[in-house]
Amino acid sequence: MYILQVIINGILLGSIYAMLGLGMSLILGIVKLTNLSHGEFVILGSYCSVLFSARLGIDPFISLLITVPVMFVCGYVLQRVLINHAMSRGAEPALLVTFGLSIILKDGMLLLFSSDARHVSAGYSNRVIKIFGLDISLLNILLMLLSVLSILLLMLFLNHTYMGRAIRAAADDVEAARLSGINIGRTFSVAMGLSAATAAIAGFCVSMKWTFYPSSGGRYLLIAFVIVVLGGLGDIRGTLLSGFFFGLIQVIGGANYGLLISYIFMIIVLVASPAHSAGSISEK
Amino acid sequence: MMKKIKGHIQEAVLLLLFISCLLPWCMGILSNNAMRYMIRIFLYITIGEMWNLMSGYAGMTSLGQQAFIGLAGYSMAVATTVYKLHYAVGLAAGAAVSLCTAALLALLLMRMKGMYFAITTWVAAEALGTFFTGWRYVNQGAGMNITIVPYPRTGELYPAALILCAVALASTILLLRSSLGLGLTAMRDDASAAASLGVNVGRNKLIVYLIAALFTSLAGAVFFINKGTIYPDSGFSISWTISVVFIVIIGGIGTVEGPVVGSVVYVLLYEYLAHYPGWSNIILGVFSILVILFMPKGIVGFVSGKQHRSLIIR
Repeated sequence: MYILQVIINGILLGSIYAMLGLGMSLILGIVKLTNLSHGEFVILGSYCSVLFSARLGIDPFISLLITVPVMFVCGYVLQRVLINHAMSRGAEPALLVTFGLSIILKDGMLLLFSSDARHVSAGYSNRVIKIFGLDISLLNILLMLLSVLSILLLMLFLNHTYMGRAIRAAADDVEAARLSGINIGRTFSVAMGLSAATAAIAGFCVSMKWTFYPSSGGRYLLIAFVIVVLGGLGDIRGTLLSGFFFGLIQVIGGANYGLLISYIFMIIVLVASPAHSAGSISEK
Repeated sequence: MMKKIKGHIQEAVLLLLFISCLLPWCMGILSNNAMRYMIRIFLYITIGEMWNLMSGYAGMTSLGQQAFIGLAGYSMAVATTVYKLHYAVGLAAGAAVSLCTAALLALLLMRMKGMYFAITTWVAAEALGTFFTGWRYVNQGAGMNITIVPYPRTGELYPAALILCAVALASTILLLRSSLGLGLTAMRDDASAAASLGVNVGRNKLIVYLIAALFTSLAGAVFFINKGTIYPDSGFSISWTISVVFIVIIGGIGTVEGPVVGSVVYVLLYEYLAHYPGWSNIILGVFSILVILFMPKGIVGFVSGKQHRSLIIR
């Protein structure tokens, strides 16, 4: 019974990790950019949910209706006015620009929100429901439903809209997509907007589940990166699976060793995965 | 011929700088405050040159050099505080520990490139930081004091930092002039072409990585003697990388002079920005993004580009 409990908790937690990885996966797989400020996007999403749910007095889940569009626009504008220009100068400048962005966002949040730990709670945060004799947190179930819903919506968008098809075309071959009349700058901007929107949802999950600080971004960036490398770039189903797997590791490793195990695990994944030695991303 | 003269000019300027830094110290006219600034500049030049060698010449952009700074700082703390040894032993221990760690990491890192290399170096540094935060022997997150009897004064650290910086600069210049350095430049521009022309890419990268680890750790050790305390959060902090990226980008990546100019600008700017607490990193971040976008070769590249143009016009 205990093992079943661990597995279920791991999978529920894993859906949050999948959300974390999803935005990173989009940006790496489509725009071919390592966005070092992704962790700060996530934490920005967390602060937005604190802000809107506390100030407006609405349920945290409803605050997403404001946070997600706002973050989409932020991501879109950022890519449009800044990162596209940096990318035209090469991969290294783009990497460093996102690094600069992460510093600006982190210290900006520190100024705005102070370095205190924050957390969002709702009336149902600590409620536990019993299913087949297992204690399962209601919050975890809600967050899992949210993540799965977002991932389904994203897949629908990518598969069944013109913009979604354009994004996938650009992911496969930028030049060919450009030649067939796709506006690459706009496509990349939409992809970054989507990435920021998923980061906002992930940030919401983080704010409901754990405490966070302005400086928590780096940690979530690394987690997102592990999940993406494990699941395969731009592969949404792979991201989902590796998120679940990562959640299991965290639950088994516990609070003390979970993080260290995940770092070591990530290095093993990086060494073992063939993608990097072929240089498939850096040379595309 | 031109190249030869230009090379000698570089050496002459650096020698002149070295003497002009050493002379005031010999005459004892530097205030403690001035020396403290200068020490920081020397150490940042050392770390910056090494990062520049890796990122600007060898195409290995590391976000995790703080691993060696933290290791060196902790080796220093353990050697001098726990074992009551001379701080020279601490320096040597820090260098040895860093070199061993670098050699181990190199087993993984030398197979990677681009962003995978960058992220893995960062993860490794974070993992070390997490490990030290939980390690009881080094007081976990509470950190360690560095107690040396008698404690080296700023006046003693000044020549140490200056010599370290001079040796790092000289090694960088010599390395770049050797066939290894030429191979590096070829490698950065096109690794496969360089390899096909007989450049031993793997060996060159390994040598650069180890040299960078060595000098970075020495600079880190001197920094922490000057500071007196070390915490996991200060030793393994990503802010080391933030500073060094800023220094190299502002100064001019891929030039020997770049990190020197960048360090001076950084230390002065940082001192000035201390009046605006909380804003300093934001301003540094904005500044470096603007430089990447509009002055991709940094201050040095900007100035020398102007010179070349004026020569052509004449």
